[in-house]
Amino acid sequence: MIIKNDVEYIARLACIELDDEDLQEFTIQLNTILEYFEELDDVEAELTNEEEGNVLRADNITPSLSQQEALSNAPRVDSGYFRGPRIL
Amino acid sequence: MSHRERIERALEIIERSDLNAFITVDHEGARRQAEEADAGKIDGELAGVAVAIKDAISTKGLRTTCASKMLEHYVPPYDAFVIRRLRAEGAVLIGKTNMDEFSMGASTETSFFGPCKNPWDINRVPGGSSGGSAASVAAYEADLALGSDTGGSIRCPASFCGVVGLKPTYGRVSRSGLISYGNSLEQIGPIARKVKECATLFEVIAGHDPADSTSLNQPVPRYVKSLADDITGLKIGVPIDFFGEGVDPAVENATRDAIDVLVDLGAQALEISMPSLKYALSAYYVQAMSEASSNLARYCGIVYGHRVQKDHDWHRTFSEDRASGFGREVKRRVLLGTYALSAGYYDKYYLKALKARTLIMADFQRAFQQHDVLIAPTMPHVAFKLGEKIEDPLALYKVDINTVPVNLANVPALSIPCGEKGRLPIGMQIIGDQLKETLLFNVAWQFEHNTKFNKYAE
Repeated sequence: MIIKNDVEYIARLACIELDDEDLQEFTIQLNTILEYFEELDDVEAELTNEEEGNVLRADNITPSLSQQEALSNAPRVDSGYFRGPRIL
Repeated sequence: MSHRERIERALEIIERSDLNAFITVDHEGARRQAEEADAGKIDGELAGVAVAIKDAISTKGLRTTCASKMLEHYVPPYDAFVIRRLRAEGAVLIGKTNMDEFSMGASTETSFFGPCKNPWDINRVPGGSSGGSAASVAAYEADLALGSDTGGSIRCPASFCGVVGLKPTYGRVSRSGLISYGNSLEQIGPIARKVKECATLFEVIAGHDPADSTSLNQPVPRYVKSLADDITGLKIGVPIDFFGEGVDPAVENATRDAIDVLVDLGAQALEISMPSLKYALSAYYVQAMSEASSNLARYCGIVYGHRVQKDHDWHRTFSEDRASGFGREVKRRVLLGTYALSAGYYDKYYLKALKARTLIMADFQRAFQQHDVLIAPTMPHVAFKLGEKIEDPLALYKVDINTVPVNLANVPALSIPCGEKGRLPIGMQIIGDQLKETLLFNVAWQFEHNTKFNKYAE
């Protein structure tokens, strides 16, 4: 059982702002769904380690996106850079 | 008729249509590609064929939205691997199809661009998440389509729209350029009106791609060459677990009758049990949501995507961008996935889901030791009404009960029409062991040619 404060905490971790109405609705819905997931409590199994190993490739230089292409979808651009929110 | 004339006809059908199957129609590009095909510039396997592309697959210079406000104006600077393959074979990319936002849904109702409708009944859903892809093919708005299938997103709409759709073996098709939702589960796959056309499109898109480290480096067979092979002695397993609670008797009967048809053609059928499937729905959703919460972390409105034009600190900026850019179902899944991966809950949800997946894989391995294919209903029922389930997330998740086990087991499954209820199509899925697509097309073709359930076959 999760409460409104839990959903608020998860939303902060997920970087999704929720208003009070959202919190109410999601708290009810998330509880219904999590309750259903409880059937997994019974599962007992050894995790078989089917490790395929890393897939490696030679470090060859190949053409990539131009600066113009890379910036073409950015909402805010400044002097050839992405412009993000301030950190400090 | 020239390719240009045929494409013009498809564009007219799209203009007149009220299905809302497309988010973006590329009139200009489609006409140009058709003219190039007429001029014989590319003499490929798909020259002049109109292919509709799910809007989760990147197309260079052509808007790709994933049916989300977050990517409403996103124009990819590169083509997905499968798109490069289509272009090389002369295909005409007619447009980008409607879908559930970020592929999250089974009804194509969560799209930011409004719901898509079912061509057989305009008041019903086409299935999802690749609803626009299946609906466009069913309504002759395109000849072929690409969808993607994370937990049934190709097979569900194929079943609801009466067309043929394949979820390939995991790794058979490159995911490079597919916008990720649950990347350990999903594959791009073909949708067509007939089995042979589906196999033809699959031959074009299958194969190894170094840009996707999970793509398999195995030769691609000529699937169309084996379509008419004899199926005498084929061993069919019929898992009773796919015929459980919630399966409409009309769907069960149609599937059992279809199996009888194959038995008449020389196959043998035996009921089997796969007890771990009872965990499949929960295991699927926990894993898919967990992967989604990680995959969708990239959408913060800086490098691309929706950005609220306000200057706050980074956390508040990102949180506002994501609050206004994502729809409700996407938020629900990201929140649940974040919770399942968070400290203290990882063992209870995510780890248990992985363990359940191991058990489900073992059930499939056991089944394929004794049977060549498994046959079961694709969906528990026919297409439901628009709005019928959208307010109840768990009810909508439960319609995926028969499709998600296949994704968890990394195996291929082909959904084909096998009956109808009223005018609404019923679909069955033929499931094979890994890389057994040749056999799936073969069995499906034999069924299609010995019955009249496919409304598009001669």
